[in-house]
Amino acid sequence: MPGRPTLVSRNAVAPWCIAVLLLGGCDALLTQAPDPGDVMDGAVDGLTAGERAAFAIGDAEFERPFAASEGLGPIFNNVSCASCHSGDGRGRPENGLTRFSMGGLPAPELGGPQVQDRAIPGATPEVAPAGADLSRRMPPAVFGMGFVEAIPDSSILGRADPNDGDGDGISGRPNLVTAPDFIPAHEPGGGPGPRIGRFGRKAQVSSLFEQVVTAYHQDMGITSDALPIENENPLAGSGAASADRVADPELPGTTVRNVVNYVRMLAAPAPGVETTERAHGRVVFDQIGCTGCHTPVQRTGSSPVAALSYREFTPYSDFLLHDMGDALADLRPDGAADGYEWRTAPLWGLRVAREFLRGQLFLMHDGRATSVDEAVRLHGGEAAAARDAYLALPANQRAAVLDFVESR
Amino acid sequence: MIAALMAGSPAQAQDASAAGTAAPAPAVPFVRGGFDDKPYLHGIFGRIRVGGYLEADAFVEREEGATSEAGFELLRWNLLASTEVSSRVSVWSEVEFEDGGDEVTLELAQVDVRIVPLANLRGGILLSPLGRFNLAHDAPRNELPGRPLVATELIGVALSEPGFGLFGSKEWAASRRLTYEAYAVNGFRDGVILDSPDGTRVPAGKRNFEDENASPAIVGRVAVRARAGLEIGVSAHHGAYNLFQAEGVAIDERRDLTVAVGDLEFVTGPYRFVAEAATVRVDVPPGLIGTHASRQAGGYVEASRRFGERWIAAWPGASFAAAVRLEAVDFDRDLPGDSIARMSLGVNLRPSPESVIKAAWTRGRSRDRFDNAAQEAELRLSLATYF
Repeated sequence: MPGRPTLVSRNAVAPWCIAVLLLGGCDALLTQAPDPGDVMDGAVDGLTAGERAAFAIGDAEFERPFAASEGLGPIFNNVSCASCHSGDGRGRPENGLTRFSMGGLPAPELGGPQVQDRAIPGATPEVAPAGADLSRRMPPAVFGMGFVEAIPDSSILGRADPNDGDGDGISGRPNLVTAPDFIPAHEPGGGPGPRIGRFGRKAQVSSLFEQVVTAYHQDMGITSDALPIENENPLAGSGAASADRVADPELPGTTVRNVVNYVRMLAAPAPGVETTERAHGRVVFDQIGCTGCHTPVQRTGSSPVAALSYREFTPYSDFLLHDMGDALADLRPDGAADGYEWRTAPLWGLRVAREFLRGQLFLMHDGRATSVDEAVRLHGGEAAAARDAYLALPANQRAAVLDFVESR
Repeated sequence: MIAALMAGSPAQAQDASAAGTAAPAPAVPFVRGGFDDKPYLHGIFGRIRVGGYLEADAFVEREEGATSEAGFELLRWNLLASTEVSSRVSVWSEVEFEDGGDEVTLELAQVDVRIVPLANLRGGILLSPLGRFNLAHDAPRNELPGRPLVATELIGVALSEPGFGLFGSKEWAASRRLTYEAYAVNGFRDGVILDSPDGTRVPAGKRNFEDENASPAIVGRVAVRARAGLEIGVSAHHGAYNLFQAEGVAIDERRDLTVAVGDLEFVTGPYRFVAEAATVRVDVPPGLIGTHASRQAGGYVEASRRFGERWIAAWPGASFAAAVRLEAVDFDRDLPGDSIARMSLGVNLRPSPESVIKAAWTRGRSRDRFDNAAQEAELRLSLATYF
């Protein structure tokens, strides 16, 4: 007996159900967000809606690579911020850049202070001149900079001891620099007079604004309202001048400001859970004198971002210059920093750093240390006593210190 | 499945009473689903055949747990027109409207002069015979909504260029045939390295309508139909892509770009398997080494099955299909990262052979130049039809 006509046969029900389940399926099918504490490109807590929107815009600009037809070059090191700072963290040796000086001077007539080793067609990449003092620099992590920017001058100066008055062998001093004219006076680190350098391997930069503007200009060859004239290879022929055909400035001031605000609002990854061994390692870290430079806690003052104002954070750095000895010396002055001095590197993001560097770690200014232990052993100068104390520890205590530092 | 589609040829399936008189489809198209294998309408404008297709999508894209894009898009609305000028001369053309009309492209405008089966002349704006998918990529034919990555990211489908050359075929037994196309074309321009912020990208060097370097490239494909339903093709595109001379004066090194593609299509019963693999070699200027790739590669395999021809009682001509595609593209073979790999699963319903409603889920992983992975997913619903 013929059945009643149906719109859809029974055979069709199962595939449709499967399709509906797939399409409306669980979140796992559509990817899941990583833990906010495990990434280096998350925003600090407590931002306003407007700040979160600015953060998102700046994030896109930070990621944005440039093509030659969009202004890249004529000479450059890489094509975007993100192409040097892996996941907004530190970079790899192949993403590093070379700074040089001649007799302690930046030598702009020879292309200094930085070698732009790449060039768009028609332009000529730079090479370091013979006889120059070279300093290879790894891309540093860019998170946490808003906190560093907001540390009151008095806090940094209060920890300075340039003449080692307390006799502990540590004589940190600030790198007092003059802010370039293009930095608006209202920007933190801007304005006339000496400013405390906070950023860069030798604390040679006082302002996030300067850091971003010069990164665009020097690292990518992107001009902006602040630096509207192209950086060219002074040793290239006149033909190279026409290689970059994009009108200057290539980037509006709003974009620079978006990236400044993005970097300002980047949170540091969360440190790992403090296990018993790590707690012990932290105590030993202090006992052997590491905290003489790696100051555990800092407190911010006023910041353009309310969520960054008057907050404690744990960078494990005093942001002062210290003589680190012969092994690490680049013999290249930078501002007031001499060829032996380096800014105390913050100890943060180390827990997740390997995940963004193909399982490897590259520490110190030039990335030569591939483990924390190796980095400690390279310490000298003012850090020699702490290094020796570390080396004298029983193996289990050294392991606890390393576990603690790597959990940061 | 396409065989099944073509068995009830769209040309024949066209509503003849409403649109004119349907012409018989070619016995064996030069390329199945190619420019001469579409459901044209006949008889409205005399000897001019007209037709077209459109593709409208709804989609959600997610990356690392966050929705990166979602919305609706009319991906393309294409108009087709062709005519037999005489028994030996035919003209084929296709105009594509994308992004709501912001981009209008003359994708095909070619004249064919048929001489003998083995050697015929073709000139105009040609679909470059670089992989089978570039020659047959209409959305109503495809079982999945999105085009393969190797097609969009490495080859730049639809890749059409001004050119001139020969095509022909040789049959040596029933259902066994060799076809070839060989053209001199304008080739790519220096957008390959200058225009894409992501580094070397061949599609960014398309649209070289006035050959910038006055140095033609060559492109060709040879395909063998070894047995019924099985076709294997190899193709390549080679030529200078940069401006290395001006006014007879050498102004730069000549830099070449070579793309080589292998493709396969196998249809048996309700099953269809297609695959395509491509490699790219680019001479990169010394100043861009490290940021721009000199070697790229990618490929995909796709399997589909037609089923449920009588499941919808009210739609007697309807059928379903399920498809899976695995694909990967490595944008820089000299780096561990800079790549995408993904899998797509889809089901579709064809109310009639020339129309299709598709749904697909894609899950993949992209890697940046540091080799950091990002999980990606997409849900896409697509309507595509010839008209």
